[in-house]
Amino acid sequence: MNQTAVYTSTEKPAVNSHSEPAIQTAGLVKVYGGETRALDGITFEVAPGELFGLLGPNGAGKTTTIRILATLLRATAGTARVAGFDVAARPSEVRKRLGLAMQTPTLDAFSTGRETLELAGRLHRMPPAEVRRRADELLELMGLASVDKKLTGTYSGGMKRRLDLAAALVHRPEVLILDEPTEGLDPQSRTALWEELERISKAGTTMLLTTHYMEEADRLCSRLAIIDNGQIVVEGAPGELKRSVGADTVVIQLEGIDGNLDRQRSQVRELLGGMVDADAVTPHPTGVALAVPNASAAIPGLLRQLDGNGLNIVGLQMSQPSLDDVFMKYTGRHIREEAADQPIIMGW
Amino acid sequence: MTAFFYETYYLGVRTTRRFLRVPANWMPILFFPLIQLLIFSQLYQDIVQLPGFGEQSSYLAYLAPGQVAFTAFMAVAWSAYGMLVEYRTGYLDKLRASPIGRWSILAGEMVPLFFQAAAMAGILLIVSLLLGASIATGVGGFLLILVLSGAFGIAFAGTSFIPALLSKSEQATSTFSLLFFPVVFMSTAFVPEALMPGWIRVVNQWNPITYLIEAMRALMVTGYDWGAIGAALLSLAILGVILQSATLWAFHRLAN
Repeated sequence: MNQTAVYTSTEKPAVNSHSEPAIQTAGLVKVYGGETRALDGITFEVAPGELFGLLGPNGAGKTTTIRILATLLRATAGTARVAGFDVAARPSEVRKRLGLAMQTPTLDAFSTGRETLELAGRLHRMPPAEVRRRADELLELMGLASVDKKLTGTYSGGMKRRLDLAAALVHRPEVLILDEPTEGLDPQSRTALWEELERISKAGTTMLLTTHYMEEADRLCSRLAIIDNGQIVVEGAPGELKRSVGADTVVIQLEGIDGNLDRQRSQVRELLGGMVDADAVTPHPTGVALAVPNASAAIPGLLRQLDGNGLNIVGLQMSQPSLDDVFMKYTGRHIREEAADQPIIMGW
Repeated sequence: MTAFFYETYYLGVRTTRRFLRVPANWMPILFFPLIQLLIFSQLYQDIVQLPGFGEQSSYLAYLAPGQVAFTAFMAVAWSAYGMLVEYRTGYLDKLRASPIGRWSILAGEMVPLFFQAAAMAGILLIVSLLLGASIATGVGGFLLILVLSGAFGIAFAGTSFIPALLSKSEQATSTFSLLFFPVVFMSTAFVPEALMPGWIRVVNQWNPITYLIEAMRALMVTGYDWGAIGAALLSLAILGVILQSATLWAFHRLAN
């Protein structure tokens, strides 16, 4: 059996020097039971150190992708490489370099927090003293030091999440894969976990996470792919994707005479004629809505143009397209309209 | 190979912990045979006067080896349950995604069963001795009975692991285990072969539990009967090879 020690005790995980992608998939297809096409040609790359997100509704194929990358499931077609190794041909090399946290925390309820971390370290062949030191460090970091000798079965949801994440980090993995890392957490624990993930990412660990929370994808991911029905519909940085949907929206709230805004609306249209396209100005219940690229930079100029012309401007609203708008544009649906769950695979 | 032992050790420590930390795991294993030992030794105390019992004068002494074997049976009858729960919670997947051998995961479940079955049977044996049974072969026989119990534990564990790995249902697995109780009842645990009706006698002759009990009984009552001990080891080996092969196949099927 190959016993090459991959574990290194340096603070930063070893990143392969020739900047080969940390994760690379090409045309991944997974067909369950000969009919359900869970993945239909998934291709993406994650560079070393990147925090990449797979955003999509339940049943889109996120978990299937994760399971293939984590060597738990064989793809029907296509290839996947993690940390430079093919997941199908060299699974043990992948496993040595991988940290994995699944959709629900997967813990042995009858082990304590410390035992959980120490076993993970042992299985990764870390030396005993280092296992203890690392367990202490992670328990402290995750705020679990006071409950380290309690069974994980007695932990709260947030504590289980943090321990599960700690267990994935014990051996300082090159690539960290997280399936819905904050699913089922209260807002406070979610924010705390986000901060933790940002810290881990800054330390240089490549991260792939799946989520169906747009806020999460927006805040954490440097790049993301939107996945729907087993296909990647679009890929890019969150800001880039949002810009692709279209311009920002600025609503100029007006106060009309006797509730009649029409005169003021046409006045706005005339005044802004030289600055924005005519069809970018549309009526809005409280005034007019303008479609402006990069609204925050355009607003001062717009206001100067409108000022002192007898207009009664009472308010200003600015909104940017959300990732939900991006999802809507490419799939025609809102991400919240959840698709069917994964098929249950029965025995016998 | 070193890797296999290393992994099996650490995973085995974990499964042993899992077993010991829930008293409801080991209490029924001890209580059921103990209750049978206490009640039946009283209820049927006069049964030994029947001709089939030969020179045996105490039914407790006759019953004790059968209940020790029954304890080893109880110790592994539901042994796949823990792994099945971990399959369901995803913990098994996490082990599968760790840099360890597939077979280490199964060995981490199986090897501790040797010690669990031996320890549980040992406790029942000590209680039997306190109640008046004796071991003709002394400390050597005591240890040999523990080894036989442990070996039976591993050999018989497949009756729980095979349905568990194939059905992936906790409910089906525990119900399935009940099917094996009559196998114990159709052994020489309660009455000698001479008192059995013809067809049960046939079942009995093919029943590995009978060979286990007869070896234990020889060690407790008569002495080192190497014929009986050899027969027990051989029947456990045959049973073990068949059930463990099927278990390995079913585990491979689940894990890949």
